[in-house]
Amino acid sequence: MKSGRSWLPAHVFAWLYVALLVVPLYYLLVSAFKTNDQIFGSPFSLPTSLSPTNFTESFSSAHLGPAVLNSLLVTALALALTLALALPAAFAIARTEGRLGALVERVFSLGFLVPTFAALFPTFLLAAATGLFHTRAFMVLFLPATAMPLSVVILVQFMRTIPREMEEAARMDGASTFAVLRHVYTPMCMPGIATILLLNFLTFWNEYLYSLVIIGPDPDLRTVQVALPTLKSLTGTDYGILTAGTVLTLVPVWVVYTVLQKRMQQALVSGAVKM
Amino acid sequence: MTMLSSAPGGASVRGPAAPQPSTATTTKRRTQGGVVLAVPALVWYLVFMVGPLVAIFVIAALHWPGMLQPVTFAGTGNVSAVLGDPVFLDAVRNTAVQLAVALPLMIVGAYMLGYYVAQKPPGHRVLRYLLFVPGLISTPAKAMVFYAVLSPDGLLNGALDKVGLGSMTDAWLASPSTALASLIVLDLWSGVGFTAVLFAARLGSVPDEIGEAAQLDGAGHWRAMWRIHFPVIRDFVGVVTMLQFLWTLFGSAQNVLLLTQGGPGSSSTTLSFLVYQKAFIAADLGYSQTVGVVLFLVGLAGLLTIRRVFRQNY
Repeated sequence: MKSGRSWLPAHVFAWLYVALLVVPLYYLLVSAFKTNDQIFGSPFSLPTSLSPTNFTESFSSAHLGPAVLNSLLVTALALALTLALALPAAFAIARTEGRLGALVERVFSLGFLVPTFAALFPTFLLAAATGLFHTRAFMVLFLPATAMPLSVVILVQFMRTIPREMEEAARMDGASTFAVLRHVYTPMCMPGIATILLLNFLTFWNEYLYSLVIIGPDPDLRTVQVALPTLKSLTGTDYGILTAGTVLTLVPVWVVYTVLQKRMQQALVSGAVKM
Repeated sequence: MTMLSSAPGGASVRGPAAPQPSTATTTKRRTQGGVVLAVPALVWYLVFMVGPLVAIFVIAALHWPGMLQPVTFAGTGNVSAVLGDPVFLDAVRNTAVQLAVALPLMIVGAYMLGYYVAQKPPGHRVLRYLLFVPGLISTPAKAMVFYAVLSPDGLLNGALDKVGLGSMTDAWLASPSTALASLIVLDLWSGVGFTAVLFAARLGSVPDEIGEAAQLDGAGHWRAMWRIHFPVIRDFVGVVTMLQFLWTLFGSAQNVLLLTQGGPGSSSTTLSFLVYQKAFIAADLGYSQTVGVVLFLVGLAGLLTIRRVFRQNY
């Protein structure tokens, strides 16, 4: 920081914006412990009690319990499938010299220009045609496809930094192609794997529109992001329950963020750069 | 931030490296076994991403009045139906307003905020942490926060009442004059901080000497920010602008669906919500996908324009 006074407007504006960010989140948090009357009467005061009734109520009225489990299941399986597809693909691209490898990489990086929202209805038709409409399985299969461009491009960059001699040494010992991938490349690009797991965890956990249309509103199948907005219509204007439910869905992401703050920011920055 | 600096050009660094004679044959043999490994990912990508995308164009040429109704070829019938529909024109206008207001404010605001954070002012760590939080929150959760704030008896009206501005209270999401504005504010609220952190991270990898040299030359902060640093990260700003453009253009369907349902009337119907609404609520599938084609073309034109505007010019 170079000098004092000329920065004053900057300090003011920056912290003003932060206040605008924090106040609604503070409101969200304290409202989760209040009744409607308290929320309207004194929106900013700290809650008088820390009773979890709103949380338990939101859990039962929106069936958040199964929804959280569904979200965890879909997210975890989709992450596993993403890795299973992206690792070999990135491995192949990184090692293939000449036109073919470059072409395949090009095809994947063009995927950044395909916005996921664009093809909602045709994707719905695909789900219907494969008989996987109203199942979580389709989301598990579909989400990795949307993650492919980013995951492959990030992994390729990590794998390109691995010296060829590592592979040649392993080959001397009689390692197969698969063994080279598993025992040489995978351990050496762990930071890249961590990056794409983090990025995709955020996207998969937060995914809304496709889950809404394809898995649908069945309380036994729907994900937490689909269950959350039902608190709005179900309870009319019970803001205590609505905010408690919102807080609950934020907890997993917030915990991961606080623990891995630095890595997560790097991951998202590198995600934004790949285009 | 090593990842950052290696990222943009990294892909082409290795490229067609001159093969050493001694390893050329082994390389070739390995390569042939290797490419097969990319096939599953490619197939996945083609089936779930490219296929549906192509299908948009096919369905746009069909007359398809509902999932279980007979399908007939419509040719350009949908195009004339769409272009003659006042709701479509409203949606074009709303999307244009949304992009024209949200995008410049977001990019300029985020760049300035990011520059400020990158100077490491007092409390910059806390700042960085808090600015990033909206980037983590899912669209439904953000929408629920805004619903609680903007509803008739929500936080904003309560605050206005408290400070004696009770006459200014409004049903923000249900009033034709403020519904679209509320959606734009939501975009800005969540987008500026997140984007600022991206810019701050990129600015952090600009060599310090550049700023110091500018200071020796007597350049003020304003000048250093826009005339010295901005040109250096110009292409990065372009990429972030493209991403925000796409998110705003295509992603607005979710916020509209969650908060206003396009109403009142069609005062907050955006193009991407129209695609959703015509497909899943009005069951006019050819119409929906014709708007989808329009959206796709607008997206493509926008990307090319942004790319041209932010092309690195040194």
